[in-house]
Amino acid sequence: MPKSLLVLAYFAFFAVVCQCCTNPQVTSTSFTTQDATIVLNIAYISDFTLKCANGEPSALYAEVNGNIVPVSIVDTNRYQVSWTEDTKTASSGDKQVRIFDEDGYAAARKALRAGEDLSSVPSVADLVVNHPGAYNGPWLKSELLATLVSLVVAYFAVSFKLKVTA
Amino acid sequence: MSKSQSKGFTKEEELLLQDFSRNVSTKSSALFYGNALIVSAVPIWLFWRIHLIEIYSSLILFVVVTSIATYLLALAYKNTKFTLKHKIAVKREEAVTRDLSKKLSEDKKMSKKEKDERILWKKNEVADFEATTLSIFYNNALFLTIVIISSFYLLPSFTPPVNYTISIGVTSGLLALLSTGSQ
Repeated sequence: MPKSLLVLAYFAFFAVVCQCCTNPQVTSTSFTTQDATIVLNIAYISDFTLKCANGEPSALYAEVNGNIVPVSIVDTNRYQVSWTEDTKTASSGDKQVRIFDEDGYAAARKALRAGEDLSSVPSVADLVVNHPGAYNGPWLKSELLATLVSLVVAYFAVSFKLKVTA
Repeated sequence: MSKSQSKGFTKEEELLLQDFSRNVSTKSSALFYGNALIVSAVPIWLFWRIHLIEIYSSLILFVVVTSIATYLLALAYKNTKFTLKHKIAVKREEAVTRDLSKKLSEDKKMSKKEKDERILWKKNEVADFEATTLSIFYNNALFLTIVIISSFYLLPSFTPPVNYTISIGVTSGLLALLSTGSQ
């Protein structure tokens, strides 16, 4: 009897200590900056709901471009992770965001310390943030066009004058 | 040329001198100043809408810079016209002579002297017109090109009023200076 009690106590202890999220269900939406004409950074925001079978996880972390960032809690079961990138380096396409729970975070920190690859750490959920690319203004700037047109006109004016004076 | 010297000329000679002098007629002068005013005022729009210059506080600056630029541009038109007129007159001489001789050959009553005078007058008129239009076109094209290049690529780090003053002032001054050359 005391043995079985010990086993029960053992499991009860781990049920409390385990910060993991079991059987996660995730749905996400994302937003990225589309117009980069007057900004220096592209903002990426992933808004997702995560339901765990064993209740709400206390804290979540996300891996973004090889870095671990905390995930903010917006509402019950609703989270948000956001980051910015320079307009020049922000590439269009899908961005993978891996979500870690407390256990995953600890494992990820350990992996980072050991200089290992984070992909070996199991994640709770994987999100995809799609960045279709931002508008950086017209390909040909208007002042360049004006300069080119005026240069052509000036060329004609000078060449015509040279022809007359020659 | 002083007045005491010009007294010795006959009326025809005076007319001829006037045709080839640096002085322009009132009509031509009005054309030059009107054109120069329009062209030197056009960049105000560029600086107002694109470079976002404060329009009301810069009104005095606009008036001063535009007046100076108008004067300098009109000077450039005048000088350029003067240099061009001679060259154009020489270039068009043959064609004008041939054209007018053909027309006047039917008129038997006209004396040779009068025919020559008519040819000379026509030649002068053609050269004057061509030189005026080419001078205006040449200076306007250069003025706007240099203003656009300097305001966008050379002086963008300056504040709009400074950019405006330097762009317009230096460009019109440069054109006036260039026009004093003989080429």
